[in-house]
This record gives sequence, structure tokens and C-alpha cells, in this order.
Amino acid sequence: MRSVIGIFPESTEGTGMNNKLKVYRAIQGLTQEEAAEKLGVSRQTVIAIENDRYLPSLGLAFKIARLFGVSVEDIFIYKEDAYEGT
Amino acid sequence: MKHKTFQQARAAVVFFIGALVSVASLRDNFVLAVTAVVVGMAVLVFMRSRARIPTDERDIIIQEKSARFAYAVIAPVLGISSVVFLFPSKSGLTVFSKGEFLFVESVGYIFAYLTLFLLLVYAVSYRYFSGKYGGNGHEQ
Repeated sequence: MRSVIGIFPESTEGTGMNNKLKVYRAIQGLTQEEAAEKLGVSRQTVIAIENDRYLPSLGLAFKIARLFGVSVEDIFIYKEDAYEGT
Repeated sequence: MKHKTFQQARAAVVFFIGALVSVASLRDNFVLAVTAVVVGMAVLVFMRSRARIPTDERDIIIQEKSARFAYAVIAPVLGISSVVFLFPSKSGLTVFSKGEFLFVESVGYIFAYLTLFLLLVYAVSYRYFSGKYGGNGHEQ
């Protein structure tokens, strides 16, 4: 139920962002459960972010970046930027 | 208490309350049912205060969206229902003003007041949160 007769207008393409959380998590050798525990969220939230189904808050985005020792923009890519790069 | 342990304990307590209420209703024992619910709720509140439950922002957003959806459905349904129920008695059809149809008008009034109450709660909470998040237009 992505949009119920216009009550909840949403982006037609996921969150409008891409992210490399899965990549950085694999580099660090963390499971989704471990990453979730370190970030103080549920495993479902990590899965949702990885699959571009949920856009985290600014606070959580910074937390994720700090966890992997990179900047927020290294992990989260605004789709317009992705198009510019191609 | 960890979150998973809390979830398991909560399921056990809820099952126990359900079983006790079922037994109480089978035996027509009102006191047992009320006691089971009150004690069960107290245990759940105590367990929750002891559990370390991480605040998950995704859960909060889901709750907010569900609440918006519930409001978007309930408000028009109640409003339209109140008009439907009030219309017969207000349109001069005497059959709806007496006997077994008398309740129709009462239900209409109840729905109409519930709709107004819902709109009032929405307006008050909107104003409160608008002020809380600095959207009242008084900032420089």
C-alpha cells in the first residue's frame, strides 16, 4: 500500500536515495543484527535502509557514517548526484 | 531485561490474561476477569519499565503513518454516517421519529459529536505540535 488515494503521497522510486550501507557493512564484516545493535535500531530498520525502502533521519544517518568512519555522503547518495556521475 | 526476553514475557503474560478471562467468562466470574486484566496490566507496565527497549525511529514513523491513515478513514466515515443517520428524521419522515427507528437519530447525533470531537483533537494537537516544532510564524 504505497499510496492510498493520495492520502500519503510518496516518491515513486523508493526513497529517492541510494545507499552503500550493505557494502560498508560487508567490508566491516558486520551482520545486520550486529549493525542494528551498534546503531540502536531494529534489524528490520537496517534491512529497510539497505533495500532503499526507508530513509533514516539525519541523526541516524550520521550515526551510520560514524560507525563506518566515513562521511554521510559516502554512504547516502542523492539520486540526482548518481545521475550526474553517469 | 533484553528486548527479546521482554517480548517473550509479554506474550506469556497476554496469553495468561486471555486464559484467565476466558475461564472467568465461562464461570460468570466478573471479579476474576477484572483482577486478571488489572494485575496483568500492572505486570506488563512493570516489565516494560525494566526492559531496555531501543527507540526505533522507523517504528515511530510507522505509528505516525498508521495514525494518519486511521484519522483519514475514521473522520469521513463518522461524518458521512452521521449525515446518513440524521437525514431521515430531519427530512420529515415521521416513521424515523418514533418506535423502533428512534435510535437512528440518536446514533446520528452521537456520530456527529464524535466527528466534531475528532476534529477538535486534531486541531488542538496540530496547533500544539506546530508550536513545538517552531512553525507558528512568530520567529525572526
